[in-house]
Amino acid sequence: MNNFFLELTIALLFGIGTFLVLRRDMMKIIIGFGIISHAINLYIVGGGVFSDGTLVPILEHEQAIEGLGQGLIYNDNLAAGILGPITTTPYTEFVDPLVQALVLTAIVIGLATTAFVLTLCYRINEEYGTIDVQELRRLRE
Amino acid sequence: MSFLMDNLPIFLIAIPLLMAPITILTKGSPGLQKVIDIVVGFGLLCLSALLITTVWKHGIIAYDVGEFGKYGIVIVADLLGAGMVVLNCLIGFLGLVYSYDYIEDKSLNQTYHSLYNLMLAGINGIFLTGDIFNMFVFFEIMLLSSAALIVSNENSKVTKISDKMEATMKYLVLNILGGNVMLIAVTSLYASIGSLNMADITLKIRVLAEAGAVPWHLYAVGLLFIIVFGGKAAMFPLHYWLPDVHPTAPSPISAMLSGVIIKIGAYGILRVLFMMFAPFQAVYGPVILFMALVTLGLGATSAIGQTDVKRMLAYSSVSQIGYVFLGFGMAAMANAAGEAEAATLILGASVVYLINHALAKSMLFLTSGGIIHTAETRDMRQMGGMVSKAPMMGVAFLVGAMSIGGVPPMGGFISKFLLFDAGLRSQFYMPIGIALIFAVFTLFYMFRGWMLIFWGERDPQYGEYSHHKLSPLIVAPVLILAAIVLILGLYPEPVVQLSQTIANQIIDPQPYIDAVMVRVIR
Repeated sequence: MNNFFLELTIALLFGIGTFLVLRRDMMKIIIGFGIISHAINLYIVGGGVFSDGTLVPILEHEQAIEGLGQGLIYNDNLAAGILGPITTTPYTEFVDPLVQALVLTAIVIGLATTAFVLTLCYRINEEYGTIDVQELRRLRE
Repeated sequence: MSFLMDNLPIFLIAIPLLMAPITILTKGSPGLQKVIDIVVGFGLLCLSALLITTVWKHGIIAYDVGEFGKYGIVIVADLLGAGMVVLNCLIGFLGLVYSYDYIEDKSLNQTYHSLYNLMLAGINGIFLTGDIFNMFVFFEIMLLSSAALIVSNENSKVTKISDKMEATMKYLVLNILGGNVMLIAVTSLYASIGSLNMADITLKIRVLAEAGAVPWHLYAVGLLFIIVFGGKAAMFPLHYWLPDVHPTAPSPISAMLSGVIIKIGAYGILRVLFMMFAPFQAVYGPVILFMALVTLGLGATSAIGQTDVKRMLAYSSVSQIGYVFLGFGMAAMANAAGEAEAATLILGASVVYLINHALAKSMLFLTSGGIIHTAETRDMRQMGGMVSKAPMMGVAFLVGAMSIGGVPPMGGFISKFLLFDAGLRSQFYMPIGIALIFAVFTLFYMFRGWMLIFWGERDPQYGEYSHHKLSPLIVAPVLILAAIVLILGLYPEPVVQLSQTIANQIIDPQPYIDAVMVRVIR
């Protein structure tokens, strides 16, 4: 049930973001991108929850030795259907730590791009006196 | 020396990344800043040459950043990546030399150098990384720095700042959307495959496909990747940003955009379509082939009517990237039909095409900068008779026009010949026929541009040409690139051989996988 609400939230945010991106006002487009990037961040975090507990990428030393050979990095067990790493015992208490790192990076990148686009939008407003996308096109040559 | 050799791939990313703050700190003394930058740029070029010779001799280099094996970030220099890095460092270095007299001092001494270095670092990172999320991060570094560079001012005030900002807005909006789509694709891939390492993903998708257990949504994920990289490379439905952005950027940046940055899309398609999603080639091949045909037709027909010299070159870029993608589509279809040898031949030909186009088009954009500098307009109808005023630009533009048009003895002839020959051998008669028709269009618009600019007389109502002689810093990079284009046409064997080896490595990625996966943790 929790998953359902998470999915609904992500879908709604995507919808609102897309609606805003299709507006004529440049500010609304930028805010739309912000909302879409937050929807994607939620989506990434949501990808870290496992139902079967076979996908936790923590390299355990003994299991690395039990795998295909000592010191080898490649130690998935494809025959047993273990696609990620290593643990077969189901872990339901914690989630994939990697996605949290991914989402941090994504947030930082989103911040940088939003800052840049906002500055650009401000300069366009100074230059043209409007941030309406359609009027900008008419002003052009 | 062995320290250098052990850490060679990371240097190509770390040095320009480090140069960005250094050039900011030396902002007070522009002379010092320029000297440092040019020395380091040349050093990077040497390092990239060293990298490709090492990879050629000793095979693929895989380099761990951190010690997490395939769960951490791996930097992989295979022949494709190393070759693209050489291309980037060469064009980047020449563009940097060109910038000194072309970019306005006020822009140049502030942030131009650090942004330029950040862009080089981002592009090198994209080509060298072996991790799909890391590739996204480098994408964004490249995107932001190149967007900021597009807005920088030239000495000749031909392009209005407001035009530049509008074009940059278009570029940014489309590429932010592209970045978001890529993030969705990467996350979906990670959630279903459990890895971000490209070699690992390749292996796992292959195993899943052999077992017949590929989840259906992976097809959609692959299509998302094609949309992302197609958008970067200006493939048909997403091509409309390019003819606005490339002409408004200052010429050295246009050269980087057209020479290297749109090739990032082609590189990504090679990695995604032929390595990671290799079992799905039967589905994606026809899509790419169709889009490529539309792209090359649309670009060529639009270029004919242009009066703005840089806009014509930009549409020509759209058309030429269509030819590269045509090769990819044909190779994917041939490979899906089980003809691996024919696929290798076609793919090698399109890699040759990619290299030749990168060199010729960046040279043409640099030349157009010289032309604009002399004529102080971008409208070709207001030019004419420039051959007596700027003879070197005339020679370089002719070399470029011949290469893009596919006239021997230039590099462009070799690449078109190889591509069409390989396509006909695999019986792609229809696509090659269409491509041939538009090759005639290409010849027409390139020579129309050359004649409009350099032949005849200039109408007196548009005034005199600028009396400034072009500085040697503008002429030298153009002539070096023109010489390379000519040499690649007269003696193409090394490049053809390199491209065939690259194609072999892509069609059969086992060496890549072995190099990344079967390693002892340091």
